[in-house]
Amino acid sequence: MLGRGKRLWSRSKRLKSSYDAVIIGGGLHGLATAYFLATRHGMNHVAVVEKRYIGFGGAGRNTAIVRANQRTQENLPLYKEALELWPVLTQELDFNLMFYNCGNLNLAHSEAALKAMRLQVASAQFHGIDSRLIDPKECKELVPALDVSDRLRYPIYGGMYHPPGGIVRHDAVVWGLASGASQKGVDIIQGVAVTGIGVQGGRITSVETDHGTITTPRVLNAAGAYAAAISCEMLGMRLPISVLTIQAMVTQPLKPILHHVISSGTYHCYANQTLKGEVATGAHMDPWPNYTTQCTAHYIKHQAEALTQLLPCLKGVKFMRAWAGLADMTPDMAPIIDGNDPVRGYYLDCGWGYFGFKSCVVTGKYLADFMASGVCPQILRPFTGRRFEQHRLMGETPALVHYSPDN
Amino acid sequence: MKRLAGLPTLRVNSARAVSIEYDGKRFHGVEGDTVATLLYANGTRIFSRSLKYHRPRGLYSLDGQSSNTYVDVDDIPNVCAENTFVGNGMRVEPQNVLGTPEHDWMAFMDKLSWAMPAGFYYTIFHKPARLWPIAVRHIRKTAGLGSLSPDVELRGRFDQIYPAADVCIIGAGPAGMSAALAAAAQKLRVILLESRPWLGGYFDYRTRNHKPGMPLYLRGRQLADQLEQAPNIRIFKHTAVIGCYSNNLITAFQRGSEADCFAERYVQIRAESVVVATGCIERPLLFENNDRPGIMQIGCAHRLARTWGVLAGEQAVFSIGHDLGIEAAIDLHDLGLSIACVADVREDGCDPALPPQLEARNIPFYPGWVAAKAHGRKVLKKVTLTNLSGVCKQQFDCDTLVASAGLTPVTGPLALAGARLEYDAHTGYFLPTGIPQKMHAAGRMLGLEDPTAIELSGRLAGLRAVADCGMAVGATISGVEEELAKLPGPARGSKFVVAPVEGKKTFVCFDEDVTIQNIDQAMRLGFDVTELIKRFTSAGTGPGQGGIAGHNLPLYVALTHRSPDLHPRPTTVRPPLVPTLLATYAGTNHPMSKRTPVHASQVAAGGVMERLQPWQRARRFCADTTARAEIENVRTNVGMLDASTLGKFRIFGPDALKALQRVYVSDMARVSTGRMYYSAMCNEDGCVIDDGVATQIAENDYYFTTSTGRAGETSEWIRYHTRYDRWDFHIINLTDAYGVINLAGPNARKVLEKVVDGAVSNEAFPFLGFREFMVHGAIPVRAMRLGFVGELSFELHVPSSYMQSLWDILEEAGEEFAIWNFGLEAQNTLRLEKGHVILGSESEQRTTLHDIGLGFFWHRDKLEAQTVGAVALKQTENDTSRLKLVGFKMEEPAARAPRDGSPIVAERIRGYVCTARYSYALKEPVGMALVEGYLAKNATRLTIFEDDCKGELMKAKVVPMPFYDPTGKRMRM
Ligand SMILES: Cc1cc2nc3c(=O)[nH]c(=O)nc-3n(C[C@H](O)[C@H](O)[C@H](O)COP(=O)(O)OP(=O)(O)OC[C@H]3O[C@@H](n4cnc5c(N)ncnc54)[C@H](O)[C@@H]3O)c2cc1C
Repeated sequence: MLGRGKRLWSRSKRLKSSYDAVIIGGGLHGLATAYFLATRHGMNHVAVVEKRYIGFGGAGRNTAIVRANQRTQENLPLYKEALELWPVLTQELDFNLMFYNCGNLNLAHSEAALKAMRLQVASAQFHGIDSRLIDPKECKELVPALDVSDRLRYPIYGGMYHPPGGIVRHDAVVWGLASGASQKGVDIIQGVAVTGIGVQGGRITSVETDHGTITTPRVLNAAGAYAAAISCEMLGMRLPISVLTIQAMVTQPLKPILHHVISSGTYHCYANQTLKGEVATGAHMDPWPNYTTQCTAHYIKHQAEALTQLLPCLKGVKFMRAWAGLADMTPDMAPIIDGNDPVRGYYLDCGWGYFGFKSCVVTGKYLADFMASGVCPQILRPFTGRRFEQHRLMGETPALVHYSPDN
Repeated sequence: MKRLAGLPTLRVNSARAVSIEYDGKRFHGVEGDTVATLLYANGTRIFSRSLKYHRPRGLYSLDGQSSNTYVDVDDIPNVCAENTFVGNGMRVEPQNVLGTPEHDWMAFMDKLSWAMPAGFYYTIFHKPARLWPIAVRHIRKTAGLGSLSPDVELRGRFDQIYPAADVCIIGAGPAGMSAALAAAAQKLRVILLESRPWLGGYFDYRTRNHKPGMPLYLRGRQLADQLEQAPNIRIFKHTAVIGCYSNNLITAFQRGSEADCFAERYVQIRAESVVVATGCIERPLLFENNDRPGIMQIGCAHRLARTWGVLAGEQAVFSIGHDLGIEAAIDLHDLGLSIACVADVREDGCDPALPPQLEARNIPFYPGWVAAKAHGRKVLKKVTLTNLSGVCKQQFDCDTLVASAGLTPVTGPLALAGARLEYDAHTGYFLPTGIPQKMHAAGRMLGLEDPTAIELSGRLAGLRAVADCGMAVGATISGVEEELAKLPGPARGSKFVVAPVEGKKTFVCFDEDVTIQNIDQAMRLGFDVTELIKRFTSAGTGPGQGGIAGHNLPLYVALTHRSPDLHPRPTTVRPPLVPTLLATYAGTNHPMSKRTPVHASQVAAGGVMERLQPWQRARRFCADTTARAEIENVRTNVGMLDASTLGKFRIFGPDALKALQRVYVSDMARVSTGRMYYSAMCNEDGCVIDDGVATQIAENDYYFTTSTGRAGETSEWIRYHTRYDRWDFHIINLTDAYGVINLAGPNARKVLEKVVDGAVSNEAFPFLGFREFMVHGAIPVRAMRLGFVGELSFELHVPSSYMQSLWDILEEAGEEFAIWNFGLEAQNTLRLEKGHVILGSESEQRTTLHDIGLGFFWHRDKLEAQTVGAVALKQTENDTSRLKLVGFKMEEPAARAPRDGSPIVAERIRGYVCTARYSYALKEPVGMALVEGYLAKNATRLTIFEDDCKGELMKAKVVPMPFYDPTGKRMRM
């Protein structure tokens, strides 16, 4: 596809005056939904409107970890299907999304953590997903660089090993989906910001942009970290979302040393080695809401402290680049997916926090069903924002989360 | 190779020899050599092979702009030879080669470049699908530069310091040194950071005159001497700035010398004002094969000779775009390098004093000419020069090509701090605009070239920093501004040129092997934003980051892009500005945890310690992981638990009760003196976040406890939820001020009565009572009768300083009963048998007060208190579809207890086991589980799906709680 040197997607800023659907945000979820609308539902009179350039948001900043060992049965089937989709889409798009199926090892540093993992492992197994608890010795076999001695500040008690997970090349997903959607006629419009949403008689009628108005009966708000602000400012819908800066960084490239994604909740740290050989690492969010996307001195130091404890050989490795993106967090660490409620034609897909990469294609697929038929597929129903009105949190995180005192 | 000796600019000590091992052979150099200069002096030209094409790469710059000279030193990979000083006996190995850098078996990759257009990996390797897993293995092996062994141990001490300063100056060139002197003259505390091991910047190696009779290098040393003598300047040499954050937080790291007690140390500085005087680096010249070993930048060739005494080669060609290039040609000629010619990209505008000096040395000068192609299979053999239209061409034999398009400012610190970089057509620089307050730029990075102007601009910035510190120097500043205005301003920069040749290997980025052809390919595919091109081609994402590609990439994109409104925009600068060892960031990495006042005696008693949030706590004291002996000792005798980690608070003042009413679910007006009162806190969703006990100490004065995990947040929680009420109360966190001993078991009273001064009989001190005692007439103790473990028990709160004494006294008093410690594991089973919950264990984020069966604590008539969570408690009161807490036993009493966390299933997952243990008291397993409402009825069967159960489900049944002593007789004894 590249060899022919044809553009992968349409040229920027060519807006038509009307579309069957307008998607706000050229991020992962927006592009995925556009792609499935066009390929599965023949809806190609669709525009993806992106304020900056595709992949500007979380799509271009995430650490690309994919897995299906979540805690609740509402989430497990969704993520399971998501894992299965990477190879399928790679073929379908004829664009190598580079699913590197290295498996994920999540470390436990206490009895309590092992117990929490057991629930996750058994729930995954109940859903036919490969996941298992392993002891420190097996952890060491998987990751020889790991320090499993009791010298550690938080010694390793065991781990949750999940072979089907891994990493995917995040940029490839953005470009592959954009190109796939564009080939089917979807307009990908970069450098245009949505500034308003028109509603009449409880129905979506149009979208305002800084380059003119578009009439449309359907809008998907997939603006990532900005989605809640768009909902609030343009439609007066307040969502229980806090936006926090989250950072990540990579080391200089190395020959293979880490063969799995490893993570540790106690150390607030995860790491994996990309196909380029860099060790990518991240985890913590800023302790207070902000939209700054600024890196902090504290964070990179913390990350080095944690990594050099878990993997002492990394002391001799250098950090090369750190960056930050935004995480849109709901109170229960599960997304908000809604449609036609209360405004007909208004669809919402946000609150993906720091886990919206692994879910993007599968969500896009079902969201396209939703938008094409107007009926919410069963698998997406638990994610309605109404759950917060009913105090029915999803339970994806066992412990209480505080993004700020008011959350 | 013979080295130049006796030059006054040298920074090596020729008298002292050093040696290293490289690729198995021994090489000799002199003290002060870097790995790169030592190897270069010994004739090494090819230092490494490039990432994708395995092209030979050599010494190009001296400040680590690219990975060209990355080597392995003592088993640590990716060490930049350019700025790593030689230590005797270092073992250096080349990396990313199969064979040697000279003969690399992977060199054929260069011939395959046609098959590797920009982003090629997105288009191949996935057809057919089964190719991919094989490709992954291959890609991983070929990617990455150095290799690291999982067992390698980095030697040396890594440290950290956090100094503060009034003025922090980054860069000790002429501008930075002048700024430091200006600020120091006002008696301010000044910190000066310089990445090289000496001061002087680009004056340091130059012999051109600053003023008649005063060469630049001497002027540099003069300034440096003044600095070293100023008492209030703290100089950090060999210290690279890596980050700049809001409010002038500067991070850096310093490399230690043999005399220092650290190998490297992390330096974090908070300054009132910051001056950035980081000067310029060179902008690489783009032409065919511009990466051939033998091609280097002006500063590289010049400093190699002047600072290290090494001539770059024998026969050189210069293709430059700046006066520094002509100056270097003249100087190097005089030092013995034969120079075939000097081509200058600029058609005019060079310093008129320079060409006659070339002429005097018979060096041909070609203004308006540029290198178009380098020849030579592995190392440079000759070069083709052309004029800018490409019509005329000429070839020259040479082993060295000094190539440089011009300068580019080092703006990283400013960009990280939030300045924007705007293209300036006059200088050709991306100049910083919108520099944050109390931050100033000075010197060469602003385009200044006149040495006096550079120093003066440094002085000006220094004075502005002084003004930031609140000193009145306005008049002096105006004076310096006027003076500076009279001197030459920013100089005109050279045009951006790409030599007019058909070429495939003109590299924009060395590290990632990205050519201008790759950039064109990306742009044809629709990547029209520099940021995206960077991601798609990887240009500028390698170890040197933007060092090579940073300036050329955005300019090339802007110039070749047809869109007229496209403004050249550099890609975002990211920290760290210099690659930094994780060991250095981690520093000393002190383990920090909290210890209870009796930590030492817990350990001495054989406690198996475990980290619980910030604390170290004893899990158990016996070898048996179920802690059976400890459990039985509490049930039949008497035990002691160190429970000091409990949150402990005093809240007092006229509105203290109102505040308690706000956060606790029950009616806190019922809390009275002499009695303990149990209650819980919920969040806005009605979910339980904490439980504990409270008592009244005096009028408007209460004492209460929280769980260990909430101790840190409770003060803020209460203040937050009363923030609009203007209530008058104070809250004090006494968690660390008091230690807690839980004395529990049927013999507990017998122990206690021996040591306290008051009556402890059941009548005098009943269950849930609160009393204050003196122990041995000296230790004040707050005692409460609680029943968490289900036996007669006293919770004794004692000032931390007395905790160990009280512990010892009780131990002594209990000796006749064989009193013994118990730990968390025993407590867990004991309280489980009583059906007492531990929040976080029997509850999760979404569990409400109703869900754990404690809804009756909620006092619904406290409307005016606006209790946090009350609305939600009302709304969820009758919701039966939620997970509810139940007790269960196994259908077969002989079965083992299911493992904690196992799901409970019936077609789908319906809940999970919170805690289950074998109860020695009841001789069968008991457990608590959260299950869907419809399963919560007594006697309902629960099927448990353990991990790895292979379809074998465990069967249990719901039973009422508590399991042990249902009427609670034992705790009321
Ligand atoms: C550092 C980091 C690490 C992460 N790691 C992982 C991980 O390992 N695994 C994982 O699963 N997830 C991870 N994530 C999360 C993941 O990146 C996000 O959840 C995901 O990108 C969300 O996708 P999205 O499409 O909702 O939003 P985005 O990808 O952020 O896209 C939203 C787009 O909307 C555009 N936009 C905003 N406002 C407007 C407007 N008014 N008009 C038009 N366009 C607008 C934005 O410019 C942006 O491009 C990580 C995130 C970060 C920041």
